[in-house]
Order: sequence, then C-alpha cells, then structure tokens
Amino acid sequence: MDNEFIIQQLREKFPNDVLKIDTSSDMLMMEIAKSAICDVVLFLKNELNFIYLTSLCGVHYPEQALPLGVVYHLHNLQDNIRLRLKVFLSDDDPHIDTCVEIFSAANWMERETFDFYGIIFDEHPNLIRILNVEYMDYHPMRKEYPLEDSTRTDKDDKFFGR
Amino acid sequence: MQQFEAEHKIINPEDFEKNFSTLNLGPTHPATHGIFQNILTMNGETIEDAVQTIGYIHRAFEKIAERRPFYQITPLTDRLNYCSAPINNLGWHMTVEKLLGVASTKRIDYMRIIVMELARIADHLICNSVIGVDSGALTGFVYMFEKREMIYDIYEEICGARLTSNVGRIGGFERDFSPTVIQKIRELLVELPKTINQFENLLMRNRIFMDRTINVGSISAERALNYSFSGPCLRAAGVDYDVRVMNPYSSYEDFDFTIPLGINGDTYDRFCVRQEEIKQSLHLIKSALENLPEGDYHMDVPEFYLPPKEKVYSEMESLIWHFKIVMGEINVPVGEVYHAVEGGNGELGFYLVSDGGRTPFRLHFRRPGFIYYQAFPEMIKGSVLSDAILTMSSMNVIAGELDA
Repeated sequence: MDNEFIIQQLREKFPNDVLKIDTSSDMLMMEIAKSAICDVVLFLKNELNFIYLTSLCGVHYPEQALPLGVVYHLHNLQDNIRLRLKVFLSDDDPHIDTCVEIFSAANWMERETFDFYGIIFDEHPNLIRILNVEYMDYHPMRKEYPLEDSTRTDKDDKFFGR
Repeated sequence: MQQFEAEHKIINPEDFEKNFSTLNLGPTHPATHGIFQNILTMNGETIEDAVQTIGYIHRAFEKIAERRPFYQITPLTDRLNYCSAPINNLGWHMTVEKLLGVASTKRIDYMRIIVMELARIADHLICNSVIGVDSGALTGFVYMFEKREMIYDIYEEICGARLTSNVGRIGGFERDFSPTVIQKIRELLVELPKTINQFENLLMRNRIFMDRTINVGSISAERALNYSFSGPCLRAAGVDYDVRVMNPYSSYEDFDFTIPLGINGDTYDRFCVRQEEIKQSLHLIKSALENLPEGDYHMDVPEFYLPPKEKVYSEMESLIWHFKIVMGEINVPVGEVYHAVEGGNGELGFYLVSDGGRTPFRLHFRRPGFIYYQAFPEMIKGSVLSDAILTMSSMNVIAGELDA
C-alpha cells in the first residue's frame, strides 16, 4: 500500500469530500469536508488499516475564511504509513462530529481541542474543559489572545529592578 | 463571551441506593507521585468507577512556544517528561532540523543515541523502583536511585545540568564529550548491570511481588491500540510498536537491538518490559560508544548553531550570527512536520506548523502519558484500591507531561 493507493481509494469512496491533497510535506495530507470526517476516519480504520490515532489537535488561522482547523494524525502500523487529515470550520459554526466511537483515545484529545480552541465535538460523551479551570470563559490558544510581547517598551518594571 | 457550565461527574445519586461510597484519591496523595486527582466510586473495597481530574500544573507550553524563537523552546520541553528530559530536548532539536532540511552526521547521531538511551534508563529505573515502593519494597528503590545519580552525573558532565537538562543545540551539541564523560559512561556500563541483578533478585521472582502485580491493571492489545497506547505500556500488551524501529531517527537503524514484549499487558509485564529495555539500552550505549565515529560534534548550520565564544570575540561573521541567534532574528522555512521519538514512556511527537516567522505558528506536543492515562478507569475497574495505586505507578504517568 502506498499514498497513490490511499488517494485513489478515498477518491472512489468519497468523491466529493476530499477537498485537497498535498504530498509535498513529510506525509500525505488531505483536507476533508467536515460532514464526512467520521466516515473517512472509520473507512481508513476498517478498510485501510489505519488503526492508530497518533494525535488530534486544533489550529487557528485567523486570516482564513474557515479559521478553525482540526488536524488528525493517523498511523497504519502494518505498512508503516502516516497520514494527516485536516478539517476546517467556520467561527460561527465550530461543530464537528466526534471520533470517540472509533478511537477511545480521541476522548481527551477532543476535550483538549475544545478547551483550547472552542471546537465543539457533537455527541462527545463528556465535552468539558480538561486542562484549564472550569470557569474560564474563553479559549486561550486562539490567535486573538496574544502572549505579552517581550519587546514592548511601555511597561513600568522599576519595582523589579529592570 | 460564552459561559460554559462545566460539570465533573462526582457523585451519582444512584450510588446512595447501592450503598457505594466516594473516595478522593489525590490531588496530593503520596502514592500518586504527582498531582493527580481520582474520584473513585467504591463498593466496599472494590472500585466501581473512577473519574480523573488533570491540569493542576498546566503551564500553557503550546501557547508560550508561539512567542519564542526555536532555541528557547528547548527548556520548555525539559518540563514535559522531566524523568527523561534529554529525550524531549533532542527530539525537539531533530524536529527543527527536519523542518530546516539539514542532515546530521554520524557522530552527532551516535552521541544523541548515547544521551537518549541514558535518559531512557533513568526513566525506567525510577518507574520500576517506584512500582517496588508502592508494593512495599523500599530497598530496591534505594539501590536503583544510587545508579540514577550516576546517570545524572553524566548529564552534568555533558551539559552542566541534571534534571531539566537543556542538552544539545539545534544542529548538534554545545561541546564534545569530554574524557570524563566517556569514563563515567564506562563506569556505569560496569556498575549498572550488577545493581539490576540485585534489584531483579529482590523483585522479579518474588512471590509477594508477583502476587501483587500479575493480572493487576491489565489491558488487551486491542483496547491498548484503541486507546493509542505507546511505549512500554503498549509493548507489555504484546504489540511490537517502537518508534526507534518503525521510523528510525538519529541512526537507530545502525544498531542491533531487540524490543521486549509482554503478553497480558498487566503491571508485571510492564515491569518486566522496562527491565529488559534497560538492558537493551545498555547494549545500545555500549555499541554506540565503541563505534563512535570521528568528526565534528555539530553541523554546519550557522543560522542556528551558536558559534564558539572565542570566534564571537574575534570574527565579524560569528559576532553577527551570535547576535541574530540570541535575539531570535532568524526566519525558518514555511512548512509542517511531524516528528516522533521514542520517549521514556511512549511515542513523543512534535507537530510543528511554521509560517516562515521567527517562532512556530503552532506547536503541538503529542504527550504519550496524556493519551494513555485516559484508560486508567477501565484498567482499575473491579480491582481493589491498592491495585489501583500499583497500576498507576506502573503506567509511568508523569504530571509534567500530562498537563503540558
């Protein structure tokens, strides 16, 4: 099995849902339509042997039309092929289906993504914050919450001897 | 701003009818070795259910990393799995090198293997000796800790630090191994096997220890894969997935070593797998040290590798590079990489998205402990409280890595 075969299989099975294919980086990357992500992951797991969910995380591109991204890394342990899937969501409707039924490991990874990016995984059994405090009312990894700039000059640090 | 109503399920009203009791294990319990909270539902002495709360030492490393030049992210990785900090450091350096597209030399690779395997031994030593402590055998722990001290002395000799090592640089090492380092490693290669023998004599075939650990906290290979287990916990369940063999990095393909496997995925198997891995790591260090090639201990990447101090004071180019590196003025190529290394307790991955700036656009740490700790309730369901403690210590969950 190689990347060509995977692309061909997915194109056949999901003709309208594979939005973008990129083979230029370190592994095969595919952008998947939001509605089909669970079916694609399930198909990859059952038919193409991608039985290992390496990681699931969020990304935020504030400039894009669909700014919120979810990145899945899957691993076929038998043929040793890694795969990266991306789904992009809009700010107004950050909903996506959960993969917990397919991979139990997705439970906390999705909670972490919700915690930091505010992406809501529908049907998730327990979608609450995981690392931040419960009463936090924003999602801190989004780009609109910048860390303090270390080069700023308007800060008064005289009490700290600087 | 949206207000979220977060609720941790703690006490189920039905539990009162069934006469279940609720027990708080943690957050600061001496037997959890870190800040973990587990709210257990107990039926007499049997655990019916467990709810974990994590995040007590969350420090937002992924967010901080988005503001820092690449070389300043290395100290953050120290604090993930602090029992084997050098693996995290070198894994991060290799990730950046992969993004830059520079190839390392054999000498750097072999030096890295020596440091990483030392770290793996230190990680396994502490984990296995703590399994002993939690089952009531303190003696072995003291033996092993003496030898861990030797490893920390070697770190100190290599990079000057002990726990949060910050070892190496992007592009190699800051200095070559000194003769003292080589001598200390050779000493360890002689001394450690003796201690391991002593330790195994104490525990490996000890009836009490075996009764306490066999069939305790076991998980099947299928469930372990579903939970994305990695490292010794996955191999104890019988799946031979090791990043060092599957996707060799840093010239691991040059070496001949075996990957120990367990059968039942229980506490005893995890213990045995780690014991055998220590021996394999010793073998790796030995062959890397014997075959250590001649050559430079750093690559030719002036944009990232700090020039030696005497050159900074005497050469204009070196001074410029020094200034640019320290101020973090250098842009990196645009791209995305995922790089995984076999950490002390599993596949440690770095997913790095770069938009060409001086800092990562997004950096995600794939922390093995965070991912497999979610299986803990499933593994302890139906067992007694003392078994839960042993299961937890045998999983080698490190709070720093869990909370990132």
